[in-house]
Amino acid sequence: MKTPFRLNEHPRRPAPPLAPPPEDYFDKLPLRVMQRVRPQEPAAAPLLGWLTALSAPLRTALASLLLLVGFVGTFWLTQRALPQSGAPLAATRQSSAQALAAVPRAEAVQYLLSDEAARLSLAELSETTVADHDLTSAFLPATDAEIQAALDEQPSVDVYL
Amino acid sequence: MEDQEILLKFREPATRNVAFNQLVRKYQSKVYWHVRKMVIDHDDADDLTQDVFIKVWNHLENFRQDASLFTWIYRIATNECLNFLSSKRRKFFLPLNDVGAELTQKLEADDSLAGDEVEKKLQKAILRLPDKQRLVFNLRYYEDMPYEQMAEVTGTSVGALKASYHHAVKKIEQYVNDTTD
Repeated sequence: MKTPFRLNEHPRRPAPPLAPPPEDYFDKLPLRVMQRVRPQEPAAAPLLGWLTALSAPLRTALASLLLLVGFVGTFWLTQRALPQSGAPLAATRQSSAQALAAVPRAEAVQYLLSDEAARLSLAELSETTVADHDLTSAFLPATDAEIQAALDEQPSVDVYL
Repeated sequence: MEDQEILLKFREPATRNVAFNQLVRKYQSKVYWHVRKMVIDHDDADDLTQDVFIKVWNHLENFRQDASLFTWIYRIATNECLNFLSSKRRKFFLPLNDVGAELTQKLEADDSLAGDEVEKKLQKAILRLPDKQRLVFNLRYYEDMPYEQMAEVTGTSVGALKASYHHAVKKIEQYVNDTTD
């Protein structure tokens, strides 16, 4: 009958039977470790050196805070650049109307009847009309008879939108 | 050089390198063998031992001396070993036993067990243990470390360590008996 194995009866070794490291391993190891730690010394920039002293979670929190401040700053500056009320928009519209009124009537009619006017899409015209109904009347300060006469002059083969 | 003297000199920029050199010389053998027993392979143990001392260098200034320097370094070494084995398992999608099998292959390739069948089975049984249980077994069986110190190194209670060691011994004895004709 075989004797069951008991660990406390087995001769205890001081260490597992592993091959020892190379002979001069422990003589060279401190030097190899020092070579790996020394280049890190000048790595910290003088101005940002304090960052390395902070813990990783604190550095992450700081980075998040800076990002948030950046977003808020950008939003604030963007809001400042936008018009704060309707007054500047009205002024822009008024100056546009004045500029259009300064165009000679014949020239405007000629432009509308020319090929360039045909490039305007129906969608563009409809948007302009919807945006400001009064604006379109400022484009063509002509009588119905003048417009009809101008249209009658067009060749019948032309296709209008 | 005493630990306290090493710590004092490490805090002075002028003597920092000398102090750290002394620290490495003092603990390198213990750290290396502690790591080697866990990873078996010399090259892995070499890499990990260096990593341990690099971490010691990086954090020694903040060492609060709640534990002894030796215990603190051992704790770093232990964490490095467990992380290494865990990452190896994740990297190769290995279950627990396959790491043990790989370590056994490395141990057999070492050729230090030739002729001693019982010792070979004992080593195979140890390598079949889960990493943390093997760590507890190594600290207690080979290094004869007191349970209180083991608790500081592993961050586990003394009772849990005693239970873990007891189970490890039972598993080892069971394996050796089952594989003996």
